[in-house]
Amino acid sequence: MIPMRAFYVFLAVAGFLIAMFIYAAWSTRRPRDIDTHSAYSLRKKLLLIVLAVLVIGLALTLAKTPYPRESDIPAQVVFVVGKQFSFGISASPITNDDEYLAATYSTPVEIAAGSLVEFRVTSFDVNHSIGVYSPDNQLVAQTQAMPGYVNRLRVRFTQPGRYRVLCLELCGSGHHRMRGVFDVK
Amino acid sequence: MATPATVLYSEAETRNFRRVTVIWGITVVLLLPILALLGYFMRLYQSGAFPKVRPEWFYAVLTLHSLGMVGTWFVGSMAGVSYLLLKYTRPSLAISKFSYWGTLLGVVLLIVCTLGGLFGTGWYFLYPLPLMSQGVWQPWATLLFFIALAVLGVCWTIWTLDILRSIAKRYSLSAALGLNYVFGKPGPEVPPLVLITTVSLIVGVAGFVAAVIVIALFAARALGVNVDPLLMKNLTFFFGHILVNITMYLGVAMVYELLPTYAGRSWKTNRVVALAWDAVLFLVLFAYFHHLYMDFAQPVWVQKFGQVCSYGLAVPAGVVSIFGTLALVYAARMRWTFASMLMFLGIMGWGVGGIAAVIDSTVEVNFHFHNTLWVPAHFHTYYLMGAVLIILGFIDHTGKEISGMEEIPWRSKLTVALLLIGGYGFLSMFYWGGAHSVPRRYAIYPAEVAQGTLYARIAVGFISVLLLGILLYLWEAGKRCLKALTA
Repeated sequence: MIPMRAFYVFLAVAGFLIAMFIYAAWSTRRPRDIDTHSAYSLRKKLLLIVLAVLVIGLALTLAKTPYPRESDIPAQVVFVVGKQFSFGISASPITNDDEYLAATYSTPVEIAAGSLVEFRVTSFDVNHSIGVYSPDNQLVAQTQAMPGYVNRLRVRFTQPGRYRVLCLELCGSGHHRMRGVFDVK
Repeated sequence: MATPATVLYSEAETRNFRRVTVIWGITVVLLLPILALLGYFMRLYQSGAFPKVRPEWFYAVLTLHSLGMVGTWFVGSMAGVSYLLLKYTRPSLAISKFSYWGTLLGVVLLIVCTLGGLFGTGWYFLYPLPLMSQGVWQPWATLLFFIALAVLGVCWTIWTLDILRSIAKRYSLSAALGLNYVFGKPGPEVPPLVLITTVSLIVGVAGFVAAVIVIALFAARALGVNVDPLLMKNLTFFFGHILVNITMYLGVAMVYELLPTYAGRSWKTNRVVALAWDAVLFLVLFAYFHHLYMDFAQPVWVQKFGQVCSYGLAVPAGVVSIFGTLALVYAARMRWTFASMLMFLGIMGWGVGGIAAVIDSTVEVNFHFHNTLWVPAHFHTYYLMGAVLIILGFIDHTGKEISGMEEIPWRSKLTVALLLIGGYGFLSMFYWGGAHSVPRRYAIYPAEVAQGTLYARIAVGFISVLLLGILLYLWEAGKRCLKALTA
């Protein structure tokens, strides 16, 4: 799982850095002169190593973006509108306040497990963000809901169950109350 | 070419400048516990300690806490570099005083609009939220907020330009940017303090220009003009990202200047250092794109370019300065004092937070971490455990230098231990929460992320330790600063 992997990578690298600082501080108990040329040579090596790690990191991750690819054809389109303080989620386009209200009260949209679904996400007022939480409450996908723009989020859900949508962009005093649901079957 | 040292202040003028710097320092040190208490309130609120207090208060306090902290440490770093630059240049004392009073006015206005008017958009006030409060805050609070921003913006821009002017009086632009080192040509010796300050403040001017455009566009919207939300978001994050970054860079500049005096070694500009900071000048302008990864309407190449710049930024500023700090201290005849410990640990905190930031700047990872507690985790690490510790170190260094008062070593060590245990303990709950999908900026955690309440409760315990450390610092460094005022 990406979040926990990222967490452990962070612990490992930060732990190494902290160990270096402790080592440097500890070394001052026995002061001595150091060879500047050796230090510069070490710096050069370190820079090259870090550069190599970062280039490898870029090579491994830059292609894995969540942005829609024209070559992928979604099997289903779901329309999402954020408005202070609820999400309207519908299988039909939401173009006005009445349709938005109807979408907030209608039965949850159903999505077929394993199929590629495209969420077309926008806002009728301020910036919101849809954070899609799986049935076991993991954040599995997100995109911003911005007035005047439609963000297309494509996801393939494999785990069936009820998914919740929480707002991840501060949108006012009811931010933490914003909700939306859909089912994956 | 450098001009003769006659451009510098006389001894009497320097004393005046010292006094103003100490006043800045005392103000910053007093604001720290107040703003930290606001943060304490927020974590207590999230842990369910105030069930009868309306969430509007949480968001208003969040706005004041974040704006207050960002502003406080920016002015703290500006006051610090201004003072240290006295060795090389002649920044205006009058403008420093003007900025001081302007900052105080701005802070008062912010307190009124947040605690008095419940203005609660968070510190980066994404368009058009300030104009759409659902009746929680009134138009006067929004107006006051923008007046406060305008006052702070004007003062800080003038201050920034004045410091750049003072550097330009002595160094040509190419010299101040260390280009003679880069191209291996003869030229004046440029201390890292001058190089880093020049780079940071040039970038800072660009950030302030963006802020002016944001405020102008909000005013235009109030007059009925249509404004593009994506453009506003880009401008807002451009400004915000730069302000936070240059605060850290100015802190690092202070370490380049001061830590060698404790290590008994020199830390000079060379080709690698100059190249590194000149690269920052370019990279930092585009790294802010990582704040907009989840805006899928941005072109994909912009998002990828943002990741490349964010990764790239880690090398020059981070690796070069962190390696420099370690090499400076390694086996040195180090005088470990309150100030030198705080500055050394500040660079470490900057590095730790930077690692978490680079991880989050990976688009694939950001998809899971954006606007979760991972975000406050990393920015609190490089801010609180980085820039703040460095500036606290500078303030204590200056207070001690001017007052001549010695420190009591065990108290210094105890304070540092409390700051470290409380600080990193409190941050660990942010990191753990982020890795477990807990959103940030939630007054109340709903059932889906109820674990956030438990993490907030644990964090409260660590913040209590942190506050103890802050109060002990206030007592110890405060004594020296107060004596320095009368010295």
